[in-house]
Amino acid sequence: MQPLANITPLKPAGAIEVRNVGQIFRTTTQDVVALEDVSLDVKPGRFVVLVGPSGCGKSTLLMMMAGLRQQTSGTITISGAPIPEPDPHRVGVVFQEASLFPWLTAEENVEFPLALRRTPKDERRAKAQDALKLVGLDGFGKRHPHELSGGMKQRVSIARGMVQDPPVLLMDEPFAALDEQTRMTMGDELLRIWAATGKTVVFVTHSLTEAVYLADEVIVMSPRPGRIVDHLQVSLPRPRTYEMLSGDAFGRMRDRIWQHIRKSA
Amino acid sequence: MTAATLRTSIVVGLIALWEILPRAGLIPELFLPSLSSTLSAGWSEAAEYGHALAVTLYEVAISMAFACGGGILLGAVVGSLPRPRVLIMPMVSSLYAVPLVILYPVFTVWLGIGSESKIAFASIYGFLPTMLATAAGIQTIDPQLLLAARSMGATLSQRLVRVIIPAAIPTVLSGLRVGGALVIVGVVVSEMLISSAGIGYLISRYRTILDSPHVFAGVLLVLAMAVAFNAGIKWIERKAAIWQTGSRAGQRAADELTAGAMQPAT
Repeated sequence: MQPLANITPLKPAGAIEVRNVGQIFRTTTQDVVALEDVSLDVKPGRFVVLVGPSGCGKSTLLMMMAGLRQQTSGTITISGAPIPEPDPHRVGVVFQEASLFPWLTAEENVEFPLALRRTPKDERRAKAQDALKLVGLDGFGKRHPHELSGGMKQRVSIARGMVQDPPVLLMDEPFAALDEQTRMTMGDELLRIWAATGKTVVFVTHSLTEAVYLADEVIVMSPRPGRIVDHLQVSLPRPRTYEMLSGDAFGRMRDRIWQHIRKSA
Repeated sequence: MTAATLRTSIVVGLIALWEILPRAGLIPELFLPSLSSTLSAGWSEAAEYGHALAVTLYEVAISMAFACGGGILLGAVVGSLPRPRVLIMPMVSSLYAVPLVILYPVFTVWLGIGSESKIAFASIYGFLPTMLATAAGIQTIDPQLLLAARSMGATLSQRLVRVIIPAAIPTVLSGLRVGGALVIVGVVVSEMLISSAGIGYLISRYRTILDSPHVFAGVLLVLAMAVAFNAGIKWIERKAAIWQTGSRAGQRAADELTAGAMQPAT
């Protein structure tokens, strides 16, 4: 665990506004209300975690913030403007580890969004190097994903999401496929990167422990239809430490989230 | 002894047996002429074999272009669009099980006994597995990869060129391996059945006059063609598929990480 207190954010980060958002999936037989009247404000530089049981629409909400899906009703703005399509300058997205391109090296994976915009080779290399260094993978750029461990692949994914330095980072269950031990390490790594860059992070997870450990704020969602049922401020000091996991404050927050989820599941 | 040297020695041993058994009189020359008499028979008619090889290679090349080009193109369409997939895939799959060689006499009626009928037959023969493999390759691309590309702002054509094609290459190559081999089979078999030129024709003509050394010389040429094709595909596979999953390499990297070979930058 790195000391975090003396690191100041490098850039002002984006604000996210979600206003009365609804999402209806139309199938041939029936309409499914995936999200209903969801409103949410994320201040710049905050670390917000979305939790809830399967089908509560947390991933759908994230996809809409990323411009990968359009809401049926309501508005979403990122840094003050709507997001009708993906915009990697404003929003970086990190998926589960399987989303790296296996035929590219780590470096080329990180360069991918830059290559799409025909950024000159030198500039691409330099930015990819910086991003890989930020996630602690200096010197591993020439490897292909199958030559990297699960945790390292996830670091590459994070580097790829951040290579264009967007103020907002959206993470869709990024550590779900990792083992417990790697998951804890990656959580600490993510907090270090977050503190070093000052980005707004919205993080989707199933894990209550992970939610409380990482977050400034936890948004609890319930399914059928997907809506927000609770919004917790996590008052634990930073840097977060492993010892906090067994503390009373931590346990109370995790219990409160669990009560909501148990009711709705 | 490693597997590779063992393999080599088996091949060398078989070649030696091919020479020794007929010479010792253990196998009649009619059934298996010795390697040396096969080679000298081929050499004495080098011009005839050269011409036949040129005809066969020409037919194989054109059929290969039709089979692979058409197979990849149609496979890509069928693999990426659900409607034609539902329509076409079951038909193609059942067609694949039919011994298409029964159609060859019909092809000669339509196209004559020249190269055209061989090309038509071999193209269709090699087309089916190529198309099926391409369709499967495109269909099985991880949707996460496409979603990730989209999140980075990739347009449809960028997704095609930078994600769909490279992701489909390994499956397409395995289809090409089968399809290309079937093209060679198709050309040679059709030459053996009804024709007036090509290696298959030579083999079947010499067989009717019981000239075994010349038959085996033709067989050797077909064998060489198949081996060369296989080597070519292997070379492409090595070039293209460096990402074949190896979890051991990932474990090695993880060990380096924990061993402190790499410290997170602060």
